[in-house]
Amino acid sequence: MKRKILCWQVTLAVPALLLGFSAQAHEPEKHMKEAEKPECAAMKTMDPSKMDRDDPVMQAMMQKCRDEMHQDESGPHGSHADHSGEDKKGNEKSPSKHEH
Amino acid sequence: MAPRKFLSCIKCLAVASGIAVATGVAFIYSGLYPMGADDRHTALTTWTLETLRERSISRASAGIDVPADLDNPERLLAGGADYNDMCVGCHLKPGKTESDFTLGLYPAPPNLARQTQDEGDAESRARRRFWTIKHGIKASGMPAWGPGHNDERIWNMVAFLRRLPDLSPEQYQIVTARGSTDSDYH
Ligand code: HEC
Repeated sequence: MKRKILCWQVTLAVPALLLGFSAQAHEPEKHMKEAEKPECAAMKTMDPSKMDRDDPVMQAMMQKCRDEMHQDESGPHGSHADHSGEDKKGNEKSPSKHEH
Repeated sequence: MAPRKFLSCIKCLAVASGIAVATGVAFIYSGLYPMGADDRHTALTTWTLETLRERSISRASAGIDVPADLDNPERLLAGGADYNDMCVGCHLKPGKTESDFTLGLYPAPPNLARQTQDEGDAESRARRRFWTIKHGIKASGMPAWGPGHNDERIWNMVAFLRRLPDLSPEQYQIVTARGSTDSDYH
């Protein structure tokens, strides 16, 4: 008797779990949160002589990092308080972003 | 006399080809063929399969019109994100030289992040790539992406593939990232 109940519990639980997992995986908001962010700080360490503004790859990167680059051009670096290490280093040493 | 000789020759040929077919069928059923992906083809089989593939794809892709704006940065971004999601495990990326798929698949997927020796002009390469991505390659690991992806999306990946060998790992990361930076701030 007990065994029969256990058996039923398992047969019900397995599909229920599978359903639960698959629903989770397809939830679009979850995907959005997991989307990889562009590491735009790396752009500042790239060789400026190789950065050709007419190059589609360059344009694509600038588009991807527009928001970050914009903040850079529009004023003091103080607005970067919550940024990655690359920016903080720049802040501490000098306000110029072309130091290296 | 001559007609009878001719007839016996026909008979002889028929018997010979009958034996050949029977031997072939017997071989198939015997289970002697080594099916493993870690068992290499003979040089003759390799040549046959590669020539079959190259000729077939050239012919099938000959009439495809290549869009004029494959250099559009929007295409690079869209195609890059798709490539990173769907293809990178098999076809690698800057800074990565092997994966379980490149080690284990046979035929092995080519490293699309590496500069290749030009076979043919850029235009026909784009056509062939578009066709291959859309239809896949039979009896290889290369899936057909046509079901589920429209032509524009496939062209975006073709556009991205053109520039992929030029990218540094850092450039690759930025161009292929699906997220954006602005969600950090607002
Ligand atoms: C499971 C592994 C796998 C995945 C995923 C995969 N491919 Fe492939 N691809 C292959 C293999 C294997 C070949 C080579 C087949 C052959 O040699 O016959 C190939 C061949 C190709 C070729 C032809 C290369 C040449 O120079 O002839 C292109 C282009 C290509 N794949 C693009 C893509 C794109 C774009 C994606 C993602 C949408 C993708 N592949 C996903 C395995 C894969």
